[in-house]
Amino acid sequence: MEHLTHETLARLVDERPSPDEREHLKACNRCAEEFRALRLQSDALGGLAALRPPSGDWETLEARLVGEGLIRTPETFRRFGFAAAPAWMQAAAAIVVFLGGTGFGLALTKGATADGLSPDRRLLSGEQISSVEDAVRAVEYSEQAYMQALMLYRQLMGGGDGPRFSDPLSRVTALEGLLAASQEAVRLAPTDPVFNGFLVNVLAERQEVLRQISSNRDDDWF
Amino acid sequence: MRALYERYSPRVYAVVRRIAADDDLAQDYAQEAWIRAIRALPTFRGEARFSTWIHRIAVNSALQAVRKAEIRAQKEAPLPESLAVAPPPGDALLSQRLEWALDRLPERMRKVLILHDVEGYTHDEIGELLGTTAGTSKSQLFKARGKMRVLLKDLDSSENPGSEDDGKEMEAWSI
Repeated sequence: MEHLTHETLARLVDERPSPDEREHLKACNRCAEEFRALRLQSDALGGLAALRPPSGDWETLEARLVGEGLIRTPETFRRFGFAAAPAWMQAAAAIVVFLGGTGFGLALTKGATADGLSPDRRLLSGEQISSVEDAVRAVEYSEQAYMQALMLYRQLMGGGDGPRFSDPLSRVTALEGLLAASQEAVRLAPTDPVFNGFLVNVLAERQEVLRQISSNRDDDWF
Repeated sequence: MRALYERYSPRVYAVVRRIAADDDLAQDYAQEAWIRAIRALPTFRGEARFSTWIHRIAVNSALQAVRKAEIRAQKEAPLPESLAVAPPPGDALLSQRLEWALDRLPERMRKVLILHDVEGYTHDEIGELLGTTAGTSKSQLFKARGKMRVLLKDLDSSENPGSEDDGKEMEAWSI
């Protein structure tokens, strides 16, 4: 008896056998066994797990990204204790800070202008800059405004007496707002990889929360 | 950005590693894919899932890199060092055998087998990615499956000498 080739058997994993091939598979144990093994092989390949990158991979990548100006150093977040916050919260904080200069975040930053830290908005707008000293002061003011907004945002998002979004529905509602904010940020700065990264973070977080909500509903069915 | 990396890097690394068939090259290619993706973020608007989008970038990036380098001529590579992300208990050995055999397939066959059987691309999509036809993709796939089967049988024979002499059929589940 002439056996079916491996290529033929491999084709039958995806396609229906011809009548002759079907008859052969019924009659020939060896080919039937090979066919079964090939089918299991394909199934097993489809179930291969993802692979963890080598240790230190992120650090190498981060250094390259910072070197190429594609991301900013996370030092600022670390200094103010944001490193432990969820990524989407960090992203949202940065978006709010960014939008603080465009109107959206003014309401947030308005209350944090005490203690001599309030930024001089005329300097920030660049209207009063006529010397190197003015430029240096403007940079300092903008940094202070940035830090104030970060701290305030942290309070709003769960620090101190701010609201908490522990249940998925509140969380997804908050994420919808952040999504709109991040889309606006990207609209204003379409080529900024940082804001695009924030947008992706928010989208990914929203997707995950929606999935959780959906799976909870499935559980409720019983 | 790190959150994105943590979430998607295993999938990105896996497809790049399997296409590259080399741990060191895979790390370079995966990083290149990330840099490309981050540069291209302005073009991502959330219409597709982010995982799909970055996966496609990783595949393209790896295929291009492999094409440029014309790497690997039937070398005797050691078992892959890459660690699977939580392989199901009992499947670790099977996964290791599959990864070992994938590394030994001729390049064109390996690419098609990975894209079709591992990643679930259609023959039309593979044809587009590799600059060939769906028919060629199919033909390469069937050859690749057959070749892989032979590699795994040979591996089994070398690990269990004498098993074939006994005239016993290898259990299908052992692949």
